[in-house]
Amino acid sequence: MAEEKKKDYEIKVDVKNLNFYYGKQHLLKNVNLFFKKNSVCTLLGPSGCGKSTFLRTLNRMNDYTEGARLTGEVIIDGQNIYGKSVDVVELRRNIGMVFQNPNPFPKSIFENVAFGLRIHGIKNKEFIVERVEKCLKYAGLYDEVKDKLAKPAFSLSGGQQQRLCIARAIATNPSILLMDEPTAYLDPVSTSIILDLITTFKKYYTIIIVSHNIQQAGRISDYSGFFLDGELIEFDEAGNFFLRPKDKRTENFITSRY
Amino acid sequence: MKISIPILNLKYKDDLYRLILSLFVLGIIAIFFVSVLVIAAYSYPAVIRYGAPFLWVKTWNPPMEIFGALTFIAGTLFVTFLALIFSVPLALGIGVFLQEYCPFFLRSFLTVIIEMLAGIPSVVFGVWGVLTIVPWLRESVEPFFNAYFSGIPFLKVEENIGYGILAASIVVAFMILPIIASITKDSLSAVPDLAKDGALAMGATRLDVIKNVSLPYALSGIYGGIVLGFGRAVGETIAVVLLIGNQAIVPKSLFSVGYTISSVLANTFTFAVISPIYASAEVELALILLVISLLVNIIGRNILNSVIGGRLSRSQFGGG
Repeated sequence: MAEEKKKDYEIKVDVKNLNFYYGKQHLLKNVNLFFKKNSVCTLLGPSGCGKSTFLRTLNRMNDYTEGARLTGEVIIDGQNIYGKSVDVVELRRNIGMVFQNPNPFPKSIFENVAFGLRIHGIKNKEFIVERVEKCLKYAGLYDEVKDKLAKPAFSLSGGQQQRLCIARAIATNPSILLMDEPTAYLDPVSTSIILDLITTFKKYYTIIIVSHNIQQAGRISDYSGFFLDGELIEFDEAGNFFLRPKDKRTENFITSRY
Repeated sequence: MKISIPILNLKYKDDLYRLILSLFVLGIIAIFFVSVLVIAAYSYPAVIRYGAPFLWVKTWNPPMEIFGALTFIAGTLFVTFLALIFSVPLALGIGVFLQEYCPFFLRSFLTVIIEMLAGIPSVVFGVWGVLTIVPWLRESVEPFFNAYFSGIPFLKVEENIGYGILAASIVVAFMILPIIASITKDSLSAVPDLAKDGALAMGATRLDVIKNVSLPYALSGIYGGIVLGFGRAVGETIAVVLLIGNQAIVPKSLFSVGYTISSVLANTFTFAVISPIYASAEVELALILLVISLLVNIIGRNILNSVIGGRLSRSQFGGG
């Protein structure tokens, strides 16, 4: 992408020459891209192409993975998150993450959302109650659960659990939201609710979504990237990406699934 | 349980296999019920003669044919619970360390060591206890407690000999430690990464993750491990025989000598058979031990199932 174009908007996340190795495998090969503030970006690609691995480098989720090694820079708000002085806890507090399968904690609905606040040392009860309520409302779940906040999170349906995980992710007021195929295992109705949420959330967060569903990606993206074998093949505004892909491989991928 | 035995229709090999396997299963069930039945039948004379007071009478006097099991029940429960108190916190710590903090190359080595520890014959543990724990208690621990805590009833040193409840409990604690530790480790390793990732991604520290996600998830498994440990401790015989002092008194202090059901059976059953009522009373002791272990197993299983049922069956892991 052209340099002058890059200056037009505020960059939230800037990835430079990122390489990721797991043992002898070279999983991400010299990835360069950036994410604009308050935009929705989807990363597409076949299974095993490295898109999820890439997503996990953005909040250092691979820190505890034995045999993982990384070179290059991930600059968030002007700071390289792999720099020595970076506090991972603080970093992750600023980055919410939603996973492929809903993964609520073995706690009550209320405590799931309050978890982030509690581990970051917030004790003020009123604040927590207010914040939990607000996040559940944002995630479009409040009306369904307001009478059973003390019930275990696992008593919810899959789609509700995923929205609970979204509420949980935004409770600490992050500025970036990472989503790893958040609708992969959900029914069409729940999927549609979550896609609508993503579009609304753009106002507050920079959203980066890994997906293998091209239709969904086309519906919600401002930007899209295509990964293949650990390489970023193409990255562009969604309009160009889906309608006029520059690379033959991108085109093949998009058309074969449309 | 429903077992179908297709005797008439053996047209298919499958049916033949099923018949043979069904017989094996029947064999297991039969062995269980026959042994319970034999124990019950042989203890019947004592049950009739001594009735319920058998459970709370302290006297055990074979020549006078006065039999009460209280001393042995007390000794057994005392040793078992003390052993659990000693070993559970330690075992949980070991399990958590092995799974969550131990460097990878060390983990498999330590795991093998712990599993080997679980396989050491109990008589070896008993001999080790006599050679190390008993002298240590006699020469260091008991004099110390005698000097500073003699006023507290539960910590009073009655005879400074090293043998007793405490020695037996410590050694039994070592015996059940590897079982609980390795089951704790296995239960923690079965916690889905996805669940832990959820907490890590929120900026949780490792300790937060262990406290809030891993341990709650693994709780049912850990509980199962503790029940298994209880089962081994309550029936542990030979190490206890070597260490507990073998006197039929209700232990009043940590340092008292005592007797457990299994150790009195091991020591006296061979000559109890000379008198039918003596033998019957001893078999009734075995029956009590059997009932205690069965109860613990059933209660443990129920708690486990309700915990697992409530937590895991409704979770969405694995997709679908």
